[in-house]
Amino acid sequence: MLAILRDLLRYNAEFRIGLLLVGIVVVLAALSFASPYPPLDVYVVPPDLPPSWAYPFGTTSRGQDVFWQLTVAIRNTLAFGIAVALLSRVLSLAIGLFSGYKGGWIDRVLMSINDTFIVLPLFPILVLFYFVMRDRMTWAMLALIMACLGWAYDARLIRSVAMSLKTREFTQTSIFSGMTTREILMREHLPYVMPIVFSTTMNNMNWSIGLEVTLSVLGFTDINTPTIGGMIFWANQHTAMVAGVWWWFAFPVAVVVMAFVGLFLLAVSMNEYIDPRSRLRRMGGAAG
Amino acid sequence: MSAPVPAVPSAAAAAAPVPAAPVLSVQDLKAYYRTRYFGVTRDVRAVDGVSFEVRAGEIYGLAGESSSGKTTLIKAIAGAIRPPLEVVGGTMTFSFLPGSPGLHRASPAEVAGIRWRHLSYIMQGSMNVLNPVRRVKHSFDDFAFRHMGLARSAFWAEVEAHLARVDLDPSVLAAYPHELSGGMRQRVTIALATLCRPEFVIADEPTTALDVLVQKTVLGMIRSVQREIGSSLLFVTHDMGVHAALTDRLAIMYAGRLAEEGRTAEIFARPRHPYTRHLVGSLPRIGDASERKSLDGTPPNLADPPPGCRFHPRCPLAMDVCRREQPAMIADGPDHRVACFAVHPQSEGHP
Amino acid sequence: MSGALIELVNVRKSFTRGGLLSHRRVQAVDDVSFRIAADDPVIFTIIGESGSGKSTLARMILNITPPTSGSIVFRGRDLSTIRGGADRTAFMAAVQPIFQNPFEAFNPLKRLDHYLHVTARRFTGAKGQAVEQRTDEVLRQVGLSLAEVRGRFPHELSGGQLQRVAIARALVSRPALIVADEPVSMVDASLRMAIVNLFRGLRDDLGISIVYITHDLATAYYISDELMIMQKGKVVEAGAARPILSDPQHPYSRQLKDAVLSPALAGARDGANGGSDARPFHAS
Repeated sequence: MLAILRDLLRYNAEFRIGLLLVGIVVVLAALSFASPYPPLDVYVVPPDLPPSWAYPFGTTSRGQDVFWQLTVAIRNTLAFGIAVALLSRVLSLAIGLFSGYKGGWIDRVLMSINDTFIVLPLFPILVLFYFVMRDRMTWAMLALIMACLGWAYDARLIRSVAMSLKTREFTQTSIFSGMTTREILMREHLPYVMPIVFSTTMNNMNWSIGLEVTLSVLGFTDINTPTIGGMIFWANQHTAMVAGVWWWFAFPVAVVVMAFVGLFLLAVSMNEYIDPRSRLRRMGGAAG
Repeated sequence: MSAPVPAVPSAAAAAAPVPAAPVLSVQDLKAYYRTRYFGVTRDVRAVDGVSFEVRAGEIYGLAGESSSGKTTLIKAIAGAIRPPLEVVGGTMTFSFLPGSPGLHRASPAEVAGIRWRHLSYIMQGSMNVLNPVRRVKHSFDDFAFRHMGLARSAFWAEVEAHLARVDLDPSVLAAYPHELSGGMRQRVTIALATLCRPEFVIADEPTTALDVLVQKTVLGMIRSVQREIGSSLLFVTHDMGVHAALTDRLAIMYAGRLAEEGRTAEIFARPRHPYTRHLVGSLPRIGDASERKSLDGTPPNLADPPPGCRFHPRCPLAMDVCRREQPAMIADGPDHRVACFAVHPQSEGHP
Repeated sequence: MSGALIELVNVRKSFTRGGLLSHRRVQAVDDVSFRIAADDPVIFTIIGESGSGKSTLARMILNITPPTSGSIVFRGRDLSTIRGGADRTAFMAAVQPIFQNPFEAFNPLKRLDHYLHVTARRFTGAKGQAVEQRTDEVLRQVGLSLAEVRGRFPHELSGGQLQRVAIARALVSRPALIVADEPVSMVDASLRMAIVNLFRGLRDDLGISIVYITHDLATAYYISDELMIMQKGKVVEAGAARPILSDPQHPYSRQLKDAVLSPALAGARDGANGGSDARPFHAS
């Protein structure tokens, strides 16, 4: 495993850059635990101070240190993104593999449900949920809802891979070796599906973080928990643009963009490594 | 085995005229796959010192199994060299491109002028050549029109006449490839490859994917067209039966090197190399129920071939020298060469 | 009928091709019947070209796909009555497949002994050490050793070795019938006869009947006991193998035999260019 990472670092520029960017973001998130100010407190430092040695990212109009706020915000945002991505992966995999393998009416029913979810307009529904649930809308709740909305597209991708795997001869060999459906799906087909899962996880994280930022900017989430979107929301509330307090949203935006790009690069570079075909080539299938 | 072959009189050998410059002359060709991937470097020695000539107007067969390197050899000759494949040494000189070490060194303009006009291919999958979303006539148009230098109407007349040679109706031109059967598609490919009367045609397993009955028809057509236009044909297949029925001379390739080469009748009647003997003798025939054996061992890994003669781990005649040195191709009778220490005992170092 | 290992009666299989507007019925298998006796292991060969229905027939015998009409009875039990896990497992223990492409038979990302172990555990109920023992036993029966195969991935072995591993896996459950669909067509010539000879050994030493599907008449002559030639889904000739191949009656069978390119043809032509070229490709 270590040799693999070492090789990726040495030969793949995308991986290096991606790892660097994500590394910075993760370090920032980890630093949040060392924050000298409780994240929810306001007016703990002089407000509206531009970046300086004392306050490297400046302070907000609410009297918070932008740097330390940012660490907490990015931690929460990342955690949210990971939670949604993982939950929805589980759904995508389960439904996609099962539907692709079984075929027939099971496949038709599941895909009809799938397509319904694809065409649902996400944003209005999330807003609707917010208005219905108001104060009871916790982050966990939001993560769950978004996971339930975010599996559909990738399930279809996984299903198409599952369908092609079904026709390959080793699937028959597995059946005649006495393996159950669950075993075949998990042990034989899953490795082929992993590259899709991996890259869609990154995509999904980007999507969920993006959606969270959007919702928070508009105030449709629990604004009291600091997140990237939340910071931008408060910045807008205090008309930071007009007031010239640019550091309040510049830094959150910069950090979240770094997270996006880093995740994307990681996904792309690791994908090439995990893809079974390039893995086979590397293991040394004979040439001509 | 087969009926006794009448002894080849020396008159026949003398009667066969010593040919002018061969259409293709391959000298000590080496082509390796070099990969440096995630820190792992490997050289797969697919073609490792191959020399032979193809004469004008003959059908030259190349026999070999998977991992013999014959596919790589074809790619090298056709100039289809892309990384990780590299020509590491040797030359492949065509009579129509004298002085050039091979197509891989020719300029794109030279190559474009040569393909289809002097050198063409018949591939295993006809769908590799025919564009599935365009009608057949467009393939003729795209590939051949430019080389023929004829007016449109004259060109299509020539195409139709040529299609008739492979027993195809002109209506085939208006069809899409998937509307034709496998055999018909392959015949279209033959017509395409021979339309411009090239000096040299490479056929890579053209009938392997076809049914037995269709194969017979297609092989017959390949031969009749070849005889008629007088081109040389390099016919590559692992099927020894096809070689027996079709080729004039035959070379046996094993693990990147040639084991034996000679006139087809001679190879089948008196194979010298132990590997050739096995290929010729091991396959069962109808009417003969005697025991057939297979070879021990497996074809070697070309990234890590055995030292000395590549065949020695599986050879029933392996001697000490075989483990240390590679045998060179030495003449053994008129128009016959073998690379084997058991046939030529003097120790020959690899030049 | 007692005494039959497997019996097919008037088996037919048709597919519909085409979508909503065009509808074509393709008759892949058209009225095929044959019988393999239980107490006398044979190699039963089915010869046909592409489109003859031989692979569809194989899939029906393996119970992968059901016939459209007619019945397939294995050891007195109609295949269509096999439902449920235990029944299917019992059937699969007795009837095992060998496929054409040895390189596709195993998942390239998994080690080979994984399949042998799973088969042993599932069909013989063996655990722990017994699994290893059975694996070792079947590998030796096909002429491989556990050392050659242990921990290996498919790409590390040749086509011939892989096919032997596939046969070993099929032997684990001590089947009564093996259905081999073109098992040697993708194996190198120098390794082919080992597999073909192995099939003979399975019949003689282990008493397993083999349904051997091929288009190669020469290997069919070499090992078959009984033979059935199919054309476009129908049986055109059937009976004892060697008499049919030596002297086929049906015109299609004659055509097939005529198209066989035997190495003997090299001797019939003169080496020089002007030899009796016409002979091998003349239609007769």
